[in-house]
Amino acid sequence: MTLQGIITVAEQEFTIRIRAGRWRWLLGAWFAVLTLVTLLIRLAVQTVDQGRAQDKGVIVYGGLTLLVLGLALLVVPTLSAQSVNGDRERGTLATLQVTRLSAGDIAVGKFAAAWGTSLVFLAMTLPPVLYTMTQGGVPFGRVAVVTVVVALLLGSVIAISLCLSSLLHRTTTSGVLAYLVVFALTVGTTVTFGLALALSSERYTQTVPGYCPGASATDPCPYSSYQGTRTRADRVWWLLAPNPFVILADAAPKLPPETTAERLQREALALRGVHVTNLRDSDPLSGLGRAVRGAHKAPGASNGSPVWPWGLGFDVLVGVGALWVTARRLRTPSRDLPLGQRVA
Amino acid sequence: MDGVVAHGVRRSFGPVQAVRGIDLTARPGEVTALVGPNGAGKTTLLLVLATLLVPDAGTVSVAGHDPVAEPDEVRARMGWSPDVFGLYDNLTCREYLQFCGRAMKLVHYEARAAELLEQARLVEKADLPVHALSRGQKQRLGLMRALVHSPQVLLLDEPAAGLDPRSRVELRELLRRLAAEGAAVIVSSHLLADLEELADAVVFVDQGVTVGEHRLDALPAAATRTWRLRALELAPLLKALKGTDHDEPTAAGVDVRLPSDEAAADLLATLVGKGVRVVSCQPVGGQLEATYLELTQ
Repeated sequence: MTLQGIITVAEQEFTIRIRAGRWRWLLGAWFAVLTLVTLLIRLAVQTVDQGRAQDKGVIVYGGLTLLVLGLALLVVPTLSAQSVNGDRERGTLATLQVTRLSAGDIAVGKFAAAWGTSLVFLAMTLPPVLYTMTQGGVPFGRVAVVTVVVALLLGSVIAISLCLSSLLHRTTTSGVLAYLVVFALTVGTTVTFGLALALSSERYTQTVPGYCPGASATDPCPYSSYQGTRTRADRVWWLLAPNPFVILADAAPKLPPETTAERLQREALALRGVHVTNLRDSDPLSGLGRAVRGAHKAPGASNGSPVWPWGLGFDVLVGVGALWVTARRLRTPSRDLPLGQRVA
Repeated sequence: MDGVVAHGVRRSFGPVQAVRGIDLTARPGEVTALVGPNGAGKTTLLLVLATLLVPDAGTVSVAGHDPVAEPDEVRARMGWSPDVFGLYDNLTCREYLQFCGRAMKLVHYEARAAELLEQARLVEKADLPVHALSRGQKQRLGLMRALVHSPQVLLLDEPAAGLDPRSRVELRELLRRLAAEGAAVIVSSHLLADLEELADAVVFVDQGVTVGEHRLDALPAAATRTWRLRALELAPLLKALKGTDHDEPTAAGVDVRLPSDEAAADLLATLVGKGVRVVSCQPVGGQLEATYLELTQ
């Protein structure tokens, strides 16, 4: 595998992709929808709080980010889910395999082209994001981390879709399966977590010191015990970890607490009868993040621990594994062929 | 020896034994024809030679290297054009050949692409998208792809399929020229008349097995061949042919099957002796076709 080889394949794939579809229209529509949604959320925030709330950008950015991830997860499987078997169908794969490009060059080059395309989509979200930053409460660090996490998640989904296209003979099958993978990651993990949580419930006995006013050292008060049932989220939290929305919300850096200056300003306004809400408390990302961390803590522990390193690590590892499988499947000369598959 | 040497190649797909023991030798500087009925294993054999399939058994050497152990060495020296192939529809001819050159790690891929466009007479179409080409032009472009790195070994699966007569003649000339420059060329084709003028050697395969390997100038005389006779008057000819194995007369003449060249000469002498005014007597189909029909069932 060489960098030159990867670039050769990626450039070629990218050129074909750009010329094949109506990308300008699709990108334009994508940009228009996101801008519109951003402005609508901003307007909603304005209406709810008569424009006096601080950090109006927080909610707008949170909403926009979740929407971008959701829409992108719907778009990216199409970028790679028919890449390998589509080439085989069109009769262009074998002629590529007999060149001096290695299987790794082809697999990684195809991945790079598809991932690059998805990053173009991600870049189109930059203008609305910059706008939310001007609205306050959206530090640069948060935007940077969120963007990188979304890019990695999209890369994983693209790699998995690419792998499916190398494993399956028919382009329609791999296309449908790629969407099922996205469904499993989002809805599947949530439902499984919910069901597992119900199954994890256990009976427990808690013993507390009894209350006896006349107790003494010689006549100690007996302990009383209570029985109850509780769910053990700490045993099943990992089922939720691969969920892209969970990873994104949990990975987004926590917003800084209210500064003294901000508090004083708010209190000064309150004295004059003007009540200002701090919208940081209603940030959709932080809310989801807190809920997830709440699941990742042992009963009795006061603080949950982060879930995103596990989830993101898992997703990225699966993506890397998928790329490796793709490269293996592209390796020639091949010994075994799936039934009904032609080499050329 | 460089060129291509294959011994006892076997390859099956699940229960289907596509190749059950093919031997083939293709020398540098020669065109070797690979001939056999559909499903005889020609394409599978070419896939093995083209580093795409691992044979189940047998030894193979392409341009002095083993396609299984050293595929990259073989690929650097071998060009392959499959019977059915696709082109990237949204690229221009020039971009396509440049891409192929880069994939072959050529340094001067731009100059090479320009050279090949000229060779394929596609200079005027160079900057048009590939889907604007006619079938024959696409076929030529595909052939140029296989030639992009000036390979020592050229494997062509049905290169003449769908070509018009002029393009076929040009293809023949191109392949002769490549062989003259020292390449070992293997052509699988059903156009036996074309091969007869093109090939130096021929390998007959049937049902996955080599059934004959011959120099073209030393083909075994086929036992029975068809001769076509034409005379000024049909009736005396038919009368004189009574007792021989002949077909119904057509506008082209009367086809007679004769066991040997001697029999043909004798028949002609007899006809002339009987006063039949014969204007032509010639074998139908070439020697290659006759041998093919005899070797394959």
